[in-house]
Amino acid sequence: MKIGGGSYTLSDRNLVLEIEAGFDLSGQRCRYILLGENGSGKTSFLEKILLPALDSHDVDYLYIGQDIRNQLYTLRALLATMGLSVIGAGERELLRVWAAHSPTAKVLIMDEFDKYFSDYEFMFEWTKTVIPLSFVVTHHDEPMRPRYEESTGRVCRVRFEPIGQDGRLKRVRIRQEQPCPC
Amino acid sequence: MPMLKLSALALGTGWFFWLFVFGPLYSHLPAQSAALAVALLWSYLRFGRRETISLLKFCLPFVAFLLAFGLIFHFTRLLGRQDWLEDTIVKCLVFPSSLTFLKIMLSYVTYLDILRLPLSMNRRIDMITVKSAFQKGSRALKRFSWYLNTYSGLKSRHRIRYAMTRYACLIIALYLFLYQEIENSNRLLKNRYRHLG
Repeated sequence: MKIGGGSYTLSDRNLVLEIEAGFDLSGQRCRYILLGENGSGKTSFLEKILLPALDSHDVDYLYIGQDIRNQLYTLRALLATMGLSVIGAGERELLRVWAAHSPTAKVLIMDEFDKYFSDYEFMFEWTKTVIPLSFVVTHHDEPMRPRYEESTGRVCRVRFEPIGQDGRLKRVRIRQEQPCPC
Repeated sequence: MPMLKLSALALGTGWFFWLFVFGPLYSHLPAQSAALAVALLWSYLRFGRRETISLLKFCLPFVAFLLAFGLIFHFTRLLGRQDWLEDTIVKCLVFPSSLTFLKIMLSYVTYLDILRLPLSMNRRIDMITVKSAFQKGSRALKRFSWYLNTYSGLKSRHRIRYAMTRYACLIIALYLFLYQEIENSNRLLKNRYRHLG
């Protein structure tokens, strides 16, 4: 399973994403780090290209959005309807219980999770036995670099670079930094 | 002036509920259909297509549930009644139309109207808090619904059970959000007012 290279038009987001090299979603151990300025289409890539691709292949995933504070309300509700006691549980505990009760998830996706938790390696620790593939959107990958290499080995940095405007559509090139081992 | 406006809105709302929900046109199917059509058209003009569809989607599980029970009661002739189906259809029309109408009426109440009300500041702060929370709530609802679609723990269940659990999650999430939002905004507003005073 792959997200192929090519041009993807997201009219409702006024974006054209030009993916140079595709993304392998076949389940091998790999961490993609998505980098780029605000408004360069990282979240749109996740929500409009990656998630639909995973859905269409029935691949389960854990997606943590940028507005995690809002998402946590839905997580608390979800876990409560699963019969789990989440009264008084803090944010980290909610995430831990959710991860522990998602045994079929194969991809971990975190969109600017470091806005809330500067060291977010705990999410990988909790899921490492079942989730081989992950996508992380961040603006500050430098502090976490040594940790990535240590825990994953296969890390691929992906740059989102605006390359121009086409009417109201913003063109963005998605380029994998070399060498990309995934 | 705000008192006049709020009175007119309250009167309009009261009139709608008296006529269509509790009053003479309750069991009149053509009138109920027309009321729903007008409410939806008004909502479309005031809030746009997306928000109107989103409101309808919110009502849909409840309406479907109501209809299912109505059909069961109708075919089993529960309590010997013959009018279960007709009564159910009326309720299926009344629920979305009254909710939409109420939302439209409340949307005309502005923060300035509330501030100008001849009430104590604490009461006005309470009203502002509730209005602000519900406004945020309707925006959050769409995002909650989107998040729930991404949870595999929900997806794997039986179709009807999935729909019902998802709806329950949505209601619980919204309730938790509103509870927290009202508490935070109220505390913040009262604190600011105290220090301004």
